[in-house]
Amino acid sequence: MSNVSLTTAIPMLLKAVPRSRNFEAVLLFWVAGIHAFALAQVQLAVLQKMSWDMLFYWAPPAITAAIVHYILRKHAVGADGLMLPLAYLLNGLGIAMIYRLDLAEAARGGIEIYADRQVWLSCFAMIVAAAVVRLVPNHLVLRRYPYLAGAMAVFLLMLPAAPVIGKTINGATLWVGVGELSFQPGEVAKILLAIFFAGYLVSKKDTLSEIGSRLLFMKVPRAKDLGPILLFWAASLGVLVLQRDLGTSILYFGLFLVMIYTATGRAFYVGAGLTMMVTGALVASRVFDYVGRRFDAWLDPFSAENYNAAGGSYQLVQALFGMANGDVIGTGLGGGFPQLIPLAESDFILAAMGEELGLAGLFAILAIYLLLVYRGLRIANSHPDDFSRLLSIGLSFVIGLQLFVVSAGVMGLLPMTGLTTPFMAAGGSSLVANWVIIALLLRISDSSFKRVEA
Amino acid sequence: MSELALFLVRIGFVAVLWIFILSLLSVIRADLYGRRVISKIARQNAPALAGGGSVAGSVASLGIEDGEVFDPTQIAMLTGRTAGTFIDIAGKRELLIGRGASSDVVISDEFASNMHSKLVLVGEDWVLQDLNSTNGTFLDGRKVTTPATIRQGATIRIGTTTFELR
Repeated sequence: MSNVSLTTAIPMLLKAVPRSRNFEAVLLFWVAGIHAFALAQVQLAVLQKMSWDMLFYWAPPAITAAIVHYILRKHAVGADGLMLPLAYLLNGLGIAMIYRLDLAEAARGGIEIYADRQVWLSCFAMIVAAAVVRLVPNHLVLRRYPYLAGAMAVFLLMLPAAPVIGKTINGATLWVGVGELSFQPGEVAKILLAIFFAGYLVSKKDTLSEIGSRLLFMKVPRAKDLGPILLFWAASLGVLVLQRDLGTSILYFGLFLVMIYTATGRAFYVGAGLTMMVTGALVASRVFDYVGRRFDAWLDPFSAENYNAAGGSYQLVQALFGMANGDVIGTGLGGGFPQLIPLAESDFILAAMGEELGLAGLFAILAIYLLLVYRGLRIANSHPDDFSRLLSIGLSFVIGLQLFVVSAGVMGLLPMTGLTTPFMAAGGSSLVANWVIIALLLRISDSSFKRVEA
Repeated sequence: MSELALFLVRIGFVAVLWIFILSLLSVIRADLYGRRVISKIARQNAPALAGGGSVAGSVASLGIEDGEVFDPTQIAMLTGRTAGTFIDIAGKRELLIGRGASSDVVISDEFASNMHSKLVLVGEDWVLQDLNSTNGTFLDGRKVTTPATIRQGATIRIGTTTFELR
């Protein structure tokens, strides 16, 4: 019976990955159930009863996810079946937590409308994702305009530093705002940067990977090929200085390193890049006061001086206490005091989750992210085209890295940053950008499916 | 709502999250480890192998060397983009291997030349000859410089693509 050896069988198995839309539909039902369960738990714990209000926080996202599913059935039938349910699950959990924080605020007499906004923003983001899947018939058109994408990314990154429209919130200049509307251009810039790097590296990867001399056990590229890495290092330090945010600059530089490493396979870039980044950050922490304060709050959050300083470690310490209060299984949604953490609905939503769902729940959430990123890398791995491979590596890695930077900040492993938790944190730009990433990954996976069939 | 009920709800929610994740993992297990479906594929392919090179096939699977002439009827792609596919070579006398579309065995691999190497039936043996390719052809890990006879079970590697004759 075993005439087919393992080596021949495994590649065949990899093509038998669940891509079917029916599978996705089943998962969506399940996820919608978990979403409803979370909302019900919040109401039971906070209001001691279930009310029809719940429907408002459940039905619109669930229906929109179903619409996205329908569009995929019509226009991208071969797309990956796990991404949409996983992203919707994270989004739904985020809505439940924000709703819970709103209820706590209402109980204190305040009026908070984050959850209502988050519901509509989620729907809007999913509709944008569906539109991307529907209107971009082939992601390879993106390959034609790498420099345009790069220029737009730089423009967007510079925007918050512009006078009048630029906004500084909590010490970080990451927002652009007109009146009540504010927008975080960096979130969109990360997609454009991934497109730019993919396009640039596809055409340059041979020069970057083949030429160079051997030094010890590493291949060192020619001096003139070091240009891009130096330029980009300077640019991300510029971001650090202009936007006063370490997280954003780690995110963009990390994205660049991963993509250049993937394209060339040379450890040199990673080694040199990490050294440069760490050096740059350390120097910045000495030279710039605001970076230095973040470092102090990170290194010694429990000192009275840092705890009481404006923009000091108060928030981090509250988060750490909250998570400690959550223990292993958590206080249950609605059972803890996550409202005590400043900005629990956006930057610190992971800490709120950690308190109410406990270590077990927080790990579950991290596992969901892991699966999401894994699917993205899987899409990259199975695609025959180099540009698509690089682009999907970049797009999925950027979600993973952003989550790492945010969760490390919340847990005190890295200095706090102004990055948002993908899919969960309250905030429209982040939701839209991350849903567009999902849409692009779905588009890419669909095209690889067709090629395999052909 | 009693304390106990709330406690159960709270445990239940985390449990549901984990059940969801674990069941997803079990569904994509084949993707992660590549097990389960093997027997199914083996079953599907068994008749084809038995019909094709019955003697050679079964001998190969048992690993027994005997006096039987090695008479391959197909090329099995082992790794690379076309891994898992088979190319029928019964009745052929000469096969061109390369990236070019006119090749008999098309290798879609960055490291393959357009006309990379050639398999020729000399008497009863298949002989592998490198056509001065850029990155070389490897037979059982050794670079092919002069034409080499293919033994049973030998693997041929071009770039990241490997295949064998069966």
